[in-house]
Amino acid sequence: MSPQRFLSKSESLVPMTAQALVAHVLESGDFYAAVAVHGIADARQRQRLEERLFGSRRDVLMLARWEHTPANVLDALSRLEHMPLAGRVVKHRNTEGSTLKHQFSQSDDPALTGLLALHANTPAPLLLQIAMGDHDQVVLKGLARNPSAQPEVLRLLAQRFPRRFDKEIASHAAVPADLLSTLYHRGDKFVRAAVLAHKQVPEALLLQAAKSTETLILRSLVKHPLLPAATVDALSQHKDNAIRAALATRVGLPLALSARLALDDSDSVRRAVACRADLSPALMQMLAEDRDPWVRQWLGRNPVVGKHVLQKLALDIHEDVRRAVARNPNCPITLLEKLASDHRSWVRAAVAYQPNVTSCLMASLARDSAVDVLSGVAANPHTAPALLKRLVFSDELDVRRGVILNPAAGPDVLLPLLQDPYYLHRVMLASSPKLSDQDKWQLRDDPDARVRFALFQWLAARALRPVADRYFYRRKA
Amino acid sequence: MNTILVVAEHRRGEVRPVTLELITAAQQLKTAADDRVLLAIIGQEVELLASQLQWAGVDEIIACKTNSAEFEPELAEQAVSALIVSRKPIAVLLPHSVDSLGYATAVAVKGCYGYATDVFKLAYDGGALVATRGGYNQKVNVEVDFPGHACAVMTIRGGAFKPVEAAAAPLLTVDDRSELSGRSRPLEFIEQGGGGDIDITTVEFIMSIGRGIGEEANVEDFRELADNIDATLCCSRPIADAGWLPKSRQVGQSGKVVSACKLYVAMGISGSIQHMAGMKHVSTIVAVNTDPGASIFTIAKYGIVADIFEIQDELQAQLA
Repeated sequence: MSPQRFLSKSESLVPMTAQALVAHVLESGDFYAAVAVHGIADARQRQRLEERLFGSRRDVLMLARWEHTPANVLDALSRLEHMPLAGRVVKHRNTEGSTLKHQFSQSDDPALTGLLALHANTPAPLLLQIAMGDHDQVVLKGLARNPSAQPEVLRLLAQRFPRRFDKEIASHAAVPADLLSTLYHRGDKFVRAAVLAHKQVPEALLLQAAKSTETLILRSLVKHPLLPAATVDALSQHKDNAIRAALATRVGLPLALSARLALDDSDSVRRAVACRADLSPALMQMLAEDRDPWVRQWLGRNPVVGKHVLQKLALDIHEDVRRAVARNPNCPITLLEKLASDHRSWVRAAVAYQPNVTSCLMASLARDSAVDVLSGVAANPHTAPALLKRLVFSDELDVRRGVILNPAAGPDVLLPLLQDPYYLHRVMLASSPKLSDQDKWQLRDDPDARVRFALFQWLAARALRPVADRYFYRRKA
Repeated sequence: MNTILVVAEHRRGEVRPVTLELITAAQQLKTAADDRVLLAIIGQEVELLASQLQWAGVDEIIACKTNSAEFEPELAEQAVSALIVSRKPIAVLLPHSVDSLGYATAVAVKGCYGYATDVFKLAYDGGALVATRGGYNQKVNVEVDFPGHACAVMTIRGGAFKPVEAAAAPLLTVDDRSELSGRSRPLEFIEQGGGGDIDITTVEFIMSIGRGIGEEANVEDFRELADNIDATLCCSRPIADAGWLPKSRQVGQSGKVVSACKLYVAMGISGSIQHMAGMKHVSTIVAVNTDPGASIFTIAKYGIVADIFEIQDELQAQLA
C-alpha cells in the first residue's frame, strides 16, 4: 500500500492553519480535540472552546486531574470562579509557573503552599518567598527537596532551621560547596554520608572523612574520584563487603588491586570487578570460570571482553550468561549466528535486538515463533522493509508495536497500522513524524478519545511551526 | 441448617491457593453449629485432587467427575447448577477469576439466583446476607443484599480472606457427572511466548522497573537486586518494548495483571493508567520515584521520593 493510494481514500484535506483546525474542532464538538487545540485558538475561538470544555462540572473536575491536560487549559481552569480546583491545578505536573504564581496570590491555604513548595515549575522567587515566611515543617521539607530550589533557598533554610532539613539540603543538586562544609561539620553520620556522596563535595572534606571509621561514611567516600591512593589501598582490605565492592568500580584502580579484588570472597566484589573496563586477559579468563553466574553475566556484557572469552561464555549453562554475550556490543557475528539458534527464546531475542546483525540473520530469526524474538526483529533497523511489511500483520500486538518503534520503518510500512485494533498503536502513530498529516487525518474520527487527542495535539503543534517546516515531509515524500 | 457451597479452582493438577481463602469466607457465613460447608471440585481426576482439599472448616468434599481433563466453562456451569439444585446452598462462593467469570453469571441468571462479583467482605444484617464489593473503580465500597433469592452466587476477591491453615479429614462424596458435555472442545493448548519464563500472575513479591531505569545496563543491576531479595523483576511497557525484559514480565493493560502479588515495589515507574491497571489492586505497593507528583504515589502504601539508583545501591550495600 503506497502513501499516494492511501491519500486518495481520505474524505477531506487536513486543515493547514491554526484557525481552520480550531474551526474544524468547534464544528465537530469533539471534547478531547478541543483540549488539544485550545492553545492555538484565537480569543474568540478560545471562548467557544471553553464553553465546550467547561460546560459541566464533571468535565472540569476531570480536566483538572487528567494527566494530559495542557498548561494553557490548566491556566484557564485556575481562573474559573466557584470551582474548588486550586489543589488539582497546583498538583498537576503540567501547570506552569505563571499559573502557580496566580494561585499563590489567590489563596493563603497552607495545604496549597505545601503543594507549591513541591512543584518543579514553581518560580524561584516564589520558592524564596515560601522559604522566608513559612514555618510549616512539612512545607519546608518539600521545599528543600524541590529540584527547582535555588542555592539561596537552600542557604536560607539551613540558616533558619539549623539541622532540621540538613539531610534534604545535602542531597540537593544545587547546594553550594561552602554550605556542604557547614552541613558536614554539624551533621550526624547520615548527613555526612549525603555530603560525601555529593558531586560538589570539597576535597578537604574527603581527606577529613578518610580518617573516619564509620562504615556509612566510608561507603559514600569510596566512590569519590579524588580519594587519595593510600586510602584506596587501605579500604581494599576493609571488612565491609559493600565498601570493597564500591572500590572495585573505581576508575583507575591499580591492576594489582583489581586482581586482588577478583579473588575476593564476596560475590558482590567480584561482580563489580567483572564490569571493569581495564581487565587483563588473564583476569577475564579467571572470571569466566567464576562460580557465581552473576560474575560471568557481568563479564559477558563487558564490551572489553575478547572473542575467546565470549565464546566460552556463550556455552554457559545459565541462559542469562549466554544472553549477556548476545547483548554485548562487540559480540562477533559468528557468535551471534550460533546464539540465534539457542534453545532459550530470551537468548535468541537478545540477538534479534542486536544493532550489528545482518539482514540475513534477521530473516532467519523472523521465522521464530517466540514473541520476544519477533518483537526484536520488528524493532531492529536492519530488518528488511519487506519483512517489516509482513510483521505489520502479526497477530501479536507486541510485534506490531515493534514495527512502529523501528527507526527505519518508513511510511509505506506504517500506513496499515493506522487501522491497528490496539488504540496505543494508533496513539503512537498519531504523533509519528514519519507519516504525513494527511495520512493521519483519518484518525480524526477514531473511536478512542486518546487517539483523537494525540492527533489534534500533533496538528496543533504543527500549526505553530513555520510553514516551510510543515510541508517538509510531503516534499520529501 | 444452612449450606454454603464453595467451588475449588484447580489448574494442571494443583488446587489454586485462592480455594483456601474461600473456605475461610464460607466459615464466616456459618451462623449455627449445624451449618455445613461443602467444597466441590469439578474435573476428570478429581479424586486425586481431593487429597489437596483436606482442610478444617470443610464438612464435605464433593468430587464432581466430568469427562474433561481441562477447565470448560459449560461443564462447570452445568455441574454447579446441578449441585445448587440438589444441595440447596444459601451461598455459592467462587474465586473472582477468569475461570469463574466464564460461568458464574450463567449459573446465576439461569437459576435466577442473587449475584455479586469481586466480593471482599461478607456479613449478615438482620438475617439477610450482605456482600461488600468495590464500586466506581474502587473509589467506593458497595454493600449488596439479595432480596427474594434463596441462593446467592458470589465471586470472592483474592487476598480478601486469610487462607485456612488447619488440616482435617472431611467426608468425600463422588458425584459422577460424566454425562455432561460442553459446546466446545479444546484441541490444543499453546503456551504463550516467554520461553518458559516465570508466570508473573502467580508470584507474590514483585520489583518492577520503568522508564526511570534509563539504559539497559541498569536493568541488570535491578535484575541482580531482585535476584538477591527473591523478588521477581517485572517492568512497564517501554522496558519490554525495548527488549530489555521479556514481554512476559510486562505489567499493565498491554501486559499482565499480577493477581497474586502481595508486595509490589515500583522503581522509577511514573504510574500511567495503563500500568496501574495491572497492579493497583496489590495490597502493599512501595513506590520509588524522584518526582513527588508521580501518579504512582496516589496508590502506593509507602512512597519514597528518591533516586532509584541510590535506593538500589543502598539495598545492595545492605545485602553485601
